[in-house]
Amino acid sequence: MAGLSLKNVKKVYENDVVSVQDFNLEVRDKEFLVLVGPSGCGKSTTLRMIAGLEDITEGDLYIGDKRVNDIAPKDRDIAMVFQNYALYPHMNVYDNMAFSLKLRKMKKQEIKTRVDRAAGILGLENYLSRKPKALSGGQRQRVALGRAIVRDAEVFLMDEPLSNLDAKLRVQMRAEIQKLHQRLQTTTVYVTHDQTEAMTMATRLVVMKDGLIQQVGSPKEVYEKPNNVFVGGFIGSPPMNFFLGHLQGEHFIVGDEKIRVPEGKLKTLRAQDYDGKDVILGIRPEDIHDEPLFIDSSADTKIRATVDVAELMGAEIILYSSIGGQNFIARVDARYGTEAGQPIDLAFDLSKAHFFDAASELRIH
Amino acid sequence: MIDRLRKIYPSLLLYGEDIDTLDSDYKWFSDEENTRVLGIHESELAPKDIALLSAFLLPHNAKFPLPTKEEKQWQQAIRSAETPPGSENRISAPFRFTYFSFNKNQITPVFFKAALQELFEKQILILWDSETEGILVEKKEAADDGVSYGQIVDLLMSDLYVKIRFFSGPFRQSTEAVHAYYRTVKNTAVKVFAHSDKAAMTYADAVPHLMVAAASKELRQEIGQTVLQEYISDRETLEMIEVLVRCNLNISESAKELHLHRNSLQYRLDRFSEKTGIDIRQFHQAMAVYLALLAKRQGGQQHPPGNLHEDGG
Repeated sequence: MAGLSLKNVKKVYENDVVSVQDFNLEVRDKEFLVLVGPSGCGKSTTLRMIAGLEDITEGDLYIGDKRVNDIAPKDRDIAMVFQNYALYPHMNVYDNMAFSLKLRKMKKQEIKTRVDRAAGILGLENYLSRKPKALSGGQRQRVALGRAIVRDAEVFLMDEPLSNLDAKLRVQMRAEIQKLHQRLQTTTVYVTHDQTEAMTMATRLVVMKDGLIQQVGSPKEVYEKPNNVFVGGFIGSPPMNFFLGHLQGEHFIVGDEKIRVPEGKLKTLRAQDYDGKDVILGIRPEDIHDEPLFIDSSADTKIRATVDVAELMGAEIILYSSIGGQNFIARVDARYGTEAGQPIDLAFDLSKAHFFDAASELRIH
Repeated sequence: MIDRLRKIYPSLLLYGEDIDTLDSDYKWFSDEENTRVLGIHESELAPKDIALLSAFLLPHNAKFPLPTKEEKQWQQAIRSAETPPGSENRISAPFRFTYFSFNKNQITPVFFKAALQELFEKQILILWDSETEGILVEKKEAADDGVSYGQIVDLLMSDLYVKIRFFSGPFRQSTEAVHAYYRTVKNTAVKVFAHSDKAAMTYADAVPHLMVAAASKELRQEIGQTVLQEYISDRETLEMIEVLVRCNLNISESAKELHLHRNSLQYRLDRFSEKTGIDIRQFHQAMAVYLALLAKRQGGQQHPPGNLHEDGG
């Protein structure tokens, strides 16, 4: 097994489009690292540079302690899984998994040992003689994973491997990939646009936008302490709410509402000279409360709003509302039975909220 | 002859009898019909020997698979306007050419053909232009194997660690002017891959790119700015347009691909329509916006002079 190191990596395409820049990252040995971001953020390009399928314009890439910029992809000791989990249609499962090893002229007995082991790990022992068309979508995806496992590589690279699966199967395969990683402990770099997939699978997340790293951290760190407005809005579902207002004395003012800022946060804001200035308040939907007990104890962060839409999700209700012309979402307990059209008291848990600079959109801390 | 040659060159091997692969430490030669292919270890060959053997045998580069009789006929057809005569002619329609290319020094042609063959039921025909590019001849009945070129790209990328691109020409119902069709497919592929990062494309996919590339730099910039207006640098909107076109203007499907709620996408389209007066939900208006998007992307690029369609087909 090995870690990876990317130092000042930059990718510029022939048409001068900069796809990735200032990319510095240490991927630890045995880590499951997820690159996440919207379409066009450079995450797949980064993965393909690690694979050697794209040249690195500037910077250095190390696998273990070996610089591999100029090493051919086949010699980098990596295995890849892509979105299209197509298989060779005329080969059975065994041959599909064995094919890349046969191409490398590996001995038959070694191939058999590796394929049998991978089939055992993935529960495919009884399907080895079947052709792909006789397999379900989930089984096909497992064979695609098996084709990577047999390589016995130092690093797994996965590019949106679950995107072509339906929602139910995706959740199932997510768990299977996690179990696989726990068992094999192979360093894995996984690319996805799906923040739920990223949050649930990653040891660490790398959030990207416009070719730049926005934040690196554990899912908990990134969720609880987003570096900027983009990360706060991208990670979490429903996304973090943002209110543009200004700081006046001890209060954050948005529209007609005055929300008391806790002492610690106030101290930080004042120390950086934000008193009387515009700031962005970011608060997660679950940190907006409608329980009477919470509201009673939080009179200074209470607001009055009208519910535009109330979506019952079972144990909770998603409320869509606005203050000062700015929309927000609250995720509240279903037991209070809030309905659309009702005026309602809500209280913000400001201890969990964040303030961001109105110009740079960076978190103030 | 073989026995006599073997007395002179004890290392001589016959392909298919003594060995199943073309070892790169050997020099390989075949007779005209490829009925016999023999290899002699390089250590036994002085330049004079190679010249002598080449006088009555055909030298063969071990990196390339041995061409079949049918491949040779197609090679002849794309290099000249003449097709092989009479009953020997195995060239038939309907067919299409699919151009492919991959990066240098990543895989040998022998390896590539062996892997690609596994995706097709019938024997594939490949006409090599160089070690990194060539044409796959597809007979219509052999093409229907349920695996798209997009899938083939991912499959071979994970097996062979090589980035491959495919460009398929339209199916042809006749074998007339094969050489012109060949040049059109190849030239178009090279041109369109300079503007698109898609790994698998068809001629129909390429047409808008070709039209835009044929316009002057000034016209491209004008179209981009006039149609897209304030959205010209709005990456999200440009992506939305691209996805809508790809999804046949189907709002639900596009919203799903963009990970947006259907209503959010409708709202964005309404906003675009309010600001530009263009409703992307209408086919002809969407087409104009899509061309403007391509024009914007190619806007700053200088294209080399030359007519893409010089060979017709």
